Formats: sequence, C-alpha cells, structure tokens
Amino acid sequence: MIKVRAALAAASLLLLAACGGGGGGDASGDGPTTVKVSVIPIVDVAPIYLGNQQGFFTEQGLRLQIETAQGGAAIVPAVVSGQVDFGFSNLTSLILGASKGIPLKVVAPGAGSTGVQRKDFGGVLVKAGSPIRTAKDLAGKRVAVNTLNNINDTTVRASIRAAGGDPKSVKFTELAFPDMLAALDKGNVDAVQVVEPFLATGLKNGARLVASNYVDTAPNLTIAGYFTSQKTVASKPELVKKFTAAMQKSLKYASDHPDAVRKVLGTYTKIDPSVAGSLTLPTYPAQVNAAGLQTLANLAVQDGLVKSAPDLKNLQP
Amino acid sequence: MTAAVTADPAGRDRDGRRRPAVPSWALGIAGLAGLMALAELVPRAGLVRERYLPPFSDMVSALADQAGTDAFWRALLETLRGWAIGLAIAMAAGVVLGIVIGGVPPLRAALTSTIEFLRPIPSVALIPLAVLLYGTQMRSTLLLVVYASFWQVLMQVLYGVQDVDPVARETARSYRFRPLTQVRTVIWPTALPYVMTGFRLGAAVALILEITGELVIGSPGLGRQIAVAQNSNAVPSMYALVIVVGLIGMLVNAAARAVERRALRWHPSVRREVVS
Repeated sequence: MIKVRAALAAASLLLLAACGGGGGGDASGDGPTTVKVSVIPIVDVAPIYLGNQQGFFTEQGLRLQIETAQGGAAIVPAVVSGQVDFGFSNLTSLILGASKGIPLKVVAPGAGSTGVQRKDFGGVLVKAGSPIRTAKDLAGKRVAVNTLNNINDTTVRASIRAAGGDPKSVKFTELAFPDMLAALDKGNVDAVQVVEPFLATGLKNGARLVASNYVDTAPNLTIAGYFTSQKTVASKPELVKKFTAAMQKSLKYASDHPDAVRKVLGTYTKIDPSVAGSLTLPTYPAQVNAAGLQTLANLAVQDGLVKSAPDLKNLQP
Repeated sequence: MTAAVTADPAGRDRDGRRRPAVPSWALGIAGLAGLMALAELVPRAGLVRERYLPPFSDMVSALADQAGTDAFWRALLETLRGWAIGLAIAMAAGVVLGIVIGGVPPLRAALTSTIEFLRPIPSVALIPLAVLLYGTQMRSTLLLVVYASFWQVLMQVLYGVQDVDPVARETARSYRFRPLTQVRTVIWPTALPYVMTGFRLGAAVALILEITGELVIGSPGLGRQIAVAQNSNAVPSMYALVIVVGLIGMLVNAAARAVERRALRWHPSVRREVVS
C-alpha cells in the first residue's frame, strides 16, 4: 500500500533525524567524574572556560560539562533540584535565595569589580548631551537595569547615596542589556546600567559614564560566584573540594593572563574581537570579599528586597 | 508541462482562463528581492540606525562567517534534532490517542472538557515547569515542543475519526472486523488527510517552540546562538541567525507539504490539485 509506505517513510525519516546526533552517554565508573555547571554566557565566566581549556578540571579528575542558561532565574532551580552540580550567579541573587530559606552555598568567587572609578566592567551611562553629570543627578530620573530588585538597582542606589542624592526617587525600569543602548538613544530612559561588552560599545558610540556603581558600593566588591546546594555540600564533599580547587586555579590563571581571557571570549560568545580586545575585564578574585558581601546584604535590607538579612555564615565558603 | 499552451497567442490556457503575464514563481522571487533591497536601503538611508538594524549585505556576510564555524552547524543539527524528536513523539501520541479517544464515544465525551482546558495553555507558559523538571537541557525544550504540537495533531485526528462514514463503520462492525482491522480499513483512510493536516500544522508549531525554548531557556540550538549573539552585541550575526531560522521554517513547510502530497496521492483533494 503506497500511502502506508509513504507514511512509514515519513515516520522513519523523522526518527532518523531524531537519532542523528544522539548517543554519547556518560560512562560512569573509574573514569573522570562528570560535573555539570550552569553559567550565563557573559564575560564574567571566562575563567571556567579558560580553566577547562588549560586542563585544570581534568587534573582534579573532573570532566566539566558547561551548560548555558539565559539568566540566573533558570540556574538556581537547576542547582537546587540537582539538575546541575554548580551554578553561577550574582551574590545579591544568592542572598535573596538564602533569605527565602533556599539552602545555597558559595564554593568559589566568580567575578569582581576592578575597584577603580571610571574603569570598571559595569557602570551607568547617559546620552552625550544629557544634563545628568553625576550619580546625584540620577535622583528622579528613569534608569534601566537588567533585573529589578537585584544587584544592579541596589548598587545604583548606593552610588546615588554616596554622591549625596536621594536614592528613593530614582525610577528603575527593567530592560535586557542588549536593548539598553537603543532605549537610551531613543530617550525612553535617562540612564542605563550596563556591563561589558555594552559599556565599551556605548562609550564608543558617544554615551557618557556618570557612575561606577559597583565601585561606589564597596571597595573590591565581589559581584558573582559559583554556588551549589547545601545538599551537594553534604553528600558530595569530595566533588565540591575538587571543583573549588580547579576553579581557584582557573581564577588565578585568568587573573594572570588577561590576553588569554580576551581570546577565550571568542569561544563561547560572539563578541567582536576588536571589542573583546578593548573592553574592561572584571577581576577574578581568589576569594569572596566578605565585607562587600555584608554590604550587599545590608543594601538588600535597606532597599526592601528582603525583610531581614540571612545568616551569611551558611552562604559563604 | 505547459509548453504547448504557452505558444497560445491569446495568453489563455486550454480552459480559456487568462494566465497572468508573469509566472507566480517570478513574482515570489521579485517579492523576496524587494524585501532584501528594502532591508539594505532602510539602514543605508539612515531611517534606522545601522548599529541596531545593519544593512542586509552585513547580515549576509555575518551569515557567511557563521557558516564557517562548527558551532553554527552543531546548533543547526541540535535544532533540527529537537524539532524532529518532538514532532515524532507528538505525531505518535496524537495519532494513537486520537484514534482511541475518537473511536470510543463515551471516552471522547468524558475527555472533551479536559482537552478543551489543556489545549489553550500556551506552551511558553510551561517554561518555568520545564526548567524545574529538566533544567536548561534539551529535554525542557522538548517538553514544550511536544506539548504544543501534540494538540495540533490530536485535534485533527479527532476530527478525522469523527468524519468516518457511519455506514462504512456499521458495515465493518456487522462483518465483525476486528478493531485493528477496522482502524486500518475504515478509520485510517478517512482520517489520513486530517492526520496530514495535523502533521503540517504540528511541524510548524514544533519549530516555533523549539526556537522559543532555545532562546528563552538556553537549551542548545540556533535559538541559543541568537541569544548569545544578542548578549555579545553581535547584531549582524543575530539577524543572520534569524534569517537561517526563517529559511528552516520555509523548508519545514515545503517538506511537510511534500509528505502530505505523497501520502495523499490517491485522495481527491490532491488529485484535483495536480490536474488543475
């Protein structure tokens, strides 16, 4: 019967395509332990890609499997449910999670502010002709941040506060980083809080930097880190130890070889090589800055993100 | 096939209908060329900023760069694989359940309200659930793809089963055809055109959800590449990938139509199309 054959042919075609790239399950046993890490494909996570390239994870008997997510919102659930072993997130998100009773633990720092005014990897930009000159002038203005009630709006408020302005009157709007420069151009917002590569791109296109919000918040602020669930800490202490060791080595290597960092960006992002060569890299610190973490927790309470600060002892490495 | 007719000086075909002066495929190409020219000229003329909408030629050269990388082809394969697996599962489940539910009237009556409740839930609304269940892996996108295309197939199969000639069905029953024989000889031939419509609709919907899932969740594939390009401020690459996704959509639709035609060669609707 022709029609049955045709239907069968169509079905088998589908199945064939379906089987095309399959296989490759992980071999458990004496071989290396597979460790799954969920990250956001941004400049901050260059060390893990670089360390993997340099074989720092293989040294520890780990086979690294990096999964990328579009945002931190997908990473925390994946870590808590055990879909992945480790995740990458900014510290405010982890403070918020911990204060909601989600059992998380930071196992290694991720990326930090350079601590240098006007030369950080993130900052607040305004249009070339804007009347806004300093962070104080941001009061009462519309400022775009990538996530409301998170690290970027609390640190911009800290900038305004440090400059002697009124942080309560600033109006934050949520916008994705890639949309910010266009929104600033069109005048939809008065200022945008961006990170690299959008900071360098914005400056190149004539925007003006008015504040380095991470620098204004605390000296040598650690912005983000690698974390896992308390359950993994308790049940797989060896894995956590090995991952932390490999991560530490990767961070150190990235710190010492900024050119290698700029080069590895091309392997997991599509940042233009000329931009990758000139953008401001974050620091890749050896440990989470405890004072900075406390400041972020205090800001979260002060700005009403959480009712009371969580016990940071459980969160810290 | 109309070589003899083309010579007709009156520009009319055998049935005396006026044929358009320009064949439709030429018009189609002209339309595409117009769109390309517009996409080239609008940014060049400064109507929109080049840094947000680059000229078409920039997109094409970015596409050429992409085509030279392993990552692009891997992403393309991952997208096609996710689409195919999702569609295959939805087809199998939709056809089997459709025939079972459609063939047993009490079951159908009992399930109609449930189906009508579940069907309109947009797949995209299930993203949080998918992420909780499967994280950012391919499986979470697969869940969305299967969910969305399953209903397309199931509804069509249900309509198809309902369309079976009652006399034929009663005849088969009085001759004591076994259920599977009934399905093969009575229900399937009637339902097949509906199944094929479901296949075509499901194929399109599955692709939409595959790309959406990759874009929003970050599961591997072209959608994720688009998101990475966007986050890297690689605007021409982003548009280049969007063009690729559009082309895949066109191919998927053409392939689904080809399968439909082949499976339904015997069916009057297709036969008429071929004759005219």
